[in-house]
Amino acid sequence: MNSFPAIVVSADAASRLGQIEHHDTLGLRNSRLALGDSVDVNIRRFDLDDGGIRYQQFKVPYRKSMRVLDALNWIAEHEATDLAFRWICGSKMCGSCALRMNGREVLACWEAVEPAMTIEPLRNLRVIRDLVVDRGVYEDKVARLEPWIERAVPYTGFPEPLTHKQMKDSSKALDCIGCMCCYSACPVIGLGDLTAFVGPAPLVQLAQTALDPRNDPQKVKRSLALTDIFNCVSCYKCEEVCPAAIPIVSRIIEPLKAKAAALLPDMAGHSLALRAIVAARGRVDPSALALRVQGLRALLNFSRIIRLLLRGKINPFKTFLLIKTAAAAPARRILNGKAWRR
Amino acid sequence: MATMRFAYYPGCSARSTCAELNVATHRVVAKLGLDLLQLESATCTGARELRAIDPAGFYTLNVRILALAERYSLPLMTICNTCTLNLLDAHAAFVTDPDLAQTVNARLAEEDLKYSGRTRISHFLWVLHEDIGEARLRELVINPLTDLTVAAFYGCHITRPPLRYGFVDSRNNAALEKLAEILGCRPIDYSGRTECCGFHTAAHDEKVAIKLTGQHILSAKIGGAKAMVTPCPLCHTVLDGFQREIEKDLGQDLNMPILHLPQLVGLALGLSPEDLNIDRHMVPAGALAAYSVGTGGSINESR
Repeated sequence: MNSFPAIVVSADAASRLGQIEHHDTLGLRNSRLALGDSVDVNIRRFDLDDGGIRYQQFKVPYRKSMRVLDALNWIAEHEATDLAFRWICGSKMCGSCALRMNGREVLACWEAVEPAMTIEPLRNLRVIRDLVVDRGVYEDKVARLEPWIERAVPYTGFPEPLTHKQMKDSSKALDCIGCMCCYSACPVIGLGDLTAFVGPAPLVQLAQTALDPRNDPQKVKRSLALTDIFNCVSCYKCEEVCPAAIPIVSRIIEPLKAKAAALLPDMAGHSLALRAIVAARGRVDPSALALRVQGLRALLNFSRIIRLLLRGKINPFKTFLLIKTAAAAPARRILNGKAWRR
Repeated sequence: MATMRFAYYPGCSARSTCAELNVATHRVVAKLGLDLLQLESATCTGARELRAIDPAGFYTLNVRILALAERYSLPLMTICNTCTLNLLDAHAAFVTDPDLAQTVNARLAEEDLKYSGRTRISHFLWVLHEDIGEARLRELVINPLTDLTVAAFYGCHITRPPLRYGFVDSRNNAALEKLAEILGCRPIDYSGRTECCGFHTAAHDEKVAIKLTGQHILSAKIGGAKAMVTPCPLCHTVLDGFQREIEKDLGQDLNMPILHLPQLVGLALGLSPEDLNIDRHMVPAGALAAYSVGTGGSINESR
């Protein structure tokens, strides 16, 4: 059994537990190692030709401010000249050196080495060799989404009447370096063909133009119809690993969902039903939501309904009699009142 | 010790499908010396759906809840991950966007409410660590849950996004394991700790939740867990409520009891499984009764 690190909680009651991690800086990470130490590197090797997967161990002499990429280059120069990995810029711009270090997606060029590292290729993509993955599936998806602007009205000439506020979300999307860290971290993409969810990286690419007010809503609608965006589980794993610090859930996926709800209401049936229920009752009644979203399908699983009833988990009287709570009136006023836009 | 007062926001789930969580919370806070003021007119925070498709409605509903707590000058205690993140996000937007603040307050003025950005939002898990504290908790544990191997399941919205909680790597969160140790349990390490249960797509299609959560329960079981504990009723709904369907999908029995966070704390504080409504779960958690006071559990063996 491993032991969990002790938590240091500040006496300031307003502190968040997570803030201990604010001290997790590159300098501190580097200070775990000193000159003369060696870094234990365990690399997942794979070769299409022999089809074998194996893990190979290396000991790399530590250098000051050493990055994962420096360790890989040392290995390629001294121990395994056939090690396959990609990199171009070495400065967090090209997005080609993404991989997983100790189970977490990182850019090799921007991550400090750890004393013991398991290095693996990105998940959810076909491995070509060692740490090199096939980006084809991503590029095909992006191309199918037609990530460009089609104007509904002709260009009116310079300067275009655009405000910072109108561009605030698409400008975040333009920070994307296409490294695919988010695509590797996404648990829904990890389920393969179970859903048609297109994944975070293609959605960020789409958002660059779909959230641009100059784009024709009919064009945006056509693209969004291909995304299965409501199968995003909102887990923030994509945001957590994004080297460009793009708030992928809150500034990309949610604004795209809002567009989908307006342009393709059938896609957003469950979100619209939840909104209607909150507007009427003040709170969510899960049974009412299931009935509204799934219709009669919700009633098909008899044994589960009986079990839910026996454990007091559902209350048909509440659901069907629409018993009002003290929350109903304020919710109705707020959600049914005059709409306003940010 | 002086009584601490909190405004209390249980959320929708703890008032419907996870009513046992609300019951257990009230029983446990009484033991902890916390006084809760339930905000009766508080609405839903909008789950994930409203915040995506109706940001204006989302901010107004959430800031209204914060304003209700502020009216009583009380910190706000939550027991649901998604509600907690919604309230934190709405608070952050309110204090950084003066236009938004003005518009929301104009709406709230219709019922004589006004928010000025002073409400501290704290999940029950953080209240335990920050307001009660380890020393006091250790004093209150009269029934250490010795040898109970427990798998902590955080869920997402209490440990991500990084900009809100500050974790470079959300797996570094150890708040639940640390708490479990204080209660006498042995927390196990497993792959699902900070993974997603898939709840937020389950209303329209359960298949994603069933597949994702199956992996997590299985890894907890392989890791030797006798129970799992979660600070979120939405995760509980999938872990416990969908477990039969998950077993069918995996083709194997799991029988993994899933506890709400206050239920685990309550057992260690000497409350009975009945007090904590542990019998209200879909997966029977009866075996855990062996760990409660006076039923031949480990506390008796150690005396």
